[in-house]
Amino acid sequence: MKTNEPPVKDEPEHLAKAPVRKSRNRIRVENLAWQIAIGIIFLSIWEYASERWISALLVSKPSRIAQTMWEWSIDGTYVKNIWVTLKATIMGFGGGAIGGMILGYITATFRRVGEVLEPYVTALYTLPRLALAPLFLMWFGLGMEFRVMFAATIVFFLVYYNTYFGVREVSNELLAAVRIMGANRAQLAVRVVIPSALVWVTAGLKISVPYALVGVVVAEMLASDEGVGFLLAKSASQFSTYGSFAAIAALLVMALLTDWLLETITRRALRWKTAGSASQEQQH
Amino acid sequence: MLLEIKGVHFGYQQEAPILQGFNMHVARGEFLALLGPSGCGKSTLLNLAAGLLMPLDGSVKFNGSYLHGINNNVGYMTQGDTLLPWNTVAKNILLPLELRGTPAQERSDKLERALKLVNLGDARNKFPSELSGGMKRRALLARSLIYDPPMLLMDEPFGALDAQLRETMHKELLSTVNRLNESVLFVTHDIAESILLSDRVLVLGGRPLRILEETICPWGKERNLDEIRKSPDYAKLEAHVRGLLRLADAEQYADAPKGDA
Ligand SMILES: Nc1ncnc2c1ncn2[C@@H]1O[C@H](COP(=O)(O)OP(=O)(O)OP(=O)(O)O)[C@@H](O)[C@H]1O
Ligand SMILES: [Mg+2]
Repeated sequence: MKTNEPPVKDEPEHLAKAPVRKSRNRIRVENLAWQIAIGIIFLSIWEYASERWISALLVSKPSRIAQTMWEWSIDGTYVKNIWVTLKATIMGFGGGAIGGMILGYITATFRRVGEVLEPYVTALYTLPRLALAPLFLMWFGLGMEFRVMFAATIVFFLVYYNTYFGVREVSNELLAAVRIMGANRAQLAVRVVIPSALVWVTAGLKISVPYALVGVVVAEMLASDEGVGFLLAKSASQFSTYGSFAAIAALLVMALLTDWLLETITRRALRWKTAGSASQEQQH
Repeated sequence: MLLEIKGVHFGYQQEAPILQGFNMHVARGEFLALLGPSGCGKSTLLNLAAGLLMPLDGSVKFNGSYLHGINNNVGYMTQGDTLLPWNTVAKNILLPLELRGTPAQERSDKLERALKLVNLGDARNKFPSELSGGMKRRALLARSLIYDPPMLLMDEPFGALDAQLRETMHKELLSTVNRLNESVLFVTHDIAESILLSDRVLVLGGRPLRILEETICPWGKERNLDEIRKSPDYAKLEAHVRGLLRLADAEQYADAPKGDA
């Protein structure tokens, strides 16, 4: 019989398991399970509450939204509009980021230029970007250019400031050490300044991706006849909550995807930063 | 004279100058050690020789001409950690050669030798954040030895090494330096080390900094460190320098409160 088995605490010491850190993979699987569970619970409550507790006109319900998403997937509404939004986001992000990095690098490297331009940059940065919309509309019309420019101006400043501070933050000690070893200006930039600033720059790039998307969607909502923002605005104007939610779902997926993409790209470049920490990707 | 510091004034703040009309020189091929209490100004002297600091008055000459800005004829192993965090150990050690455009074959040969010298072969692909303190010092050491500059400035290079490796490094440093007829300006807190390695020891102290005594170490270039350690001359020198240093220390700490005003 198993009934008179000794209680656990009397187990000989060598059989007791010493506490060790949970493996990274185990934690990841557990986290994923939690994430899925939370999502299902949330959707179930939503489904149940809709019409019972809150008017379905205001919050729609997951099944109805899923149906719309399915329809839009089949009739090409999604593909066409997501592509338009994605294109504008990428172009706005790319243009703003490249401009921001170049100007940030120049103003940080040539101190005087930075000092002279500072009040202008600050003024433009503080200006609410939405205030530029009417002007941009006049200049660029309703087309793609308006959306791209609108997103680019937002991204530009975020990346500009991060690059500027990144380059200014470079350790003087490192610079001196490498200069003594015989580095010229270009070598200093490639070997020290850029890798060092990259931490800041990638942080700037990462935070500006969602802003680029916001810029494009806002521009599409303001003035456009295509794109996810347009879809959102149109659905809302027709009191179609399920349409609005279906458009928001597309935005969510786009945001998650772009974030993941950027994470993957930057992780390699910044491997040296994470290399020393104990939470490395390796197993025990 | 390879390095000539003449009548140099220097201070970080106007009120308590560290150097006032300070004179010092290092001959070509000479190994000069600096001993002195912590905070007396040894690193400051090295920074002046490296051109990282400019004298307020007086002159610093290297190889017969005045230093204008950075001196890139010296290899400088600073007290701090100046490994590039984004490069691996191997890439860090190779840096001076890459900057100089040394041919690939020569580069990899020298890298192998350097890694072996400081015992970092297994850590070659690690990033500095993955190294222990002593490993970082060894990587820095390898980096400053790999490119044979006419002069080495070394600020406590062996402080964090274990005794065994220290001895190997002593021999290795001397043979490299002698082979290439390099000059060395060497800061250490280890009296024995300074006497064993150098041709001349300056005991420094006081504010403004003075040379309390100049001691010649009469071992010649082809020295056998183990033999020297056993010799009575060595013991005498050691005791003498130790006494001087104790005086310098006492003076340094007696000075401290006055220096503040
Ligand atoms: N960057 C700095 N700014 C202001 N004061 C400094 C600076 N660096 C050094 N000092 C001061 O100058 C004095 C000499 O410093 P230095 O680093 O040359 O000393 P040291 O002899 O190398 O000491 P240690 O043996 O501890 O390394 C110290 O009193 C220190 O406080
Ligand atoms: Mg020092």
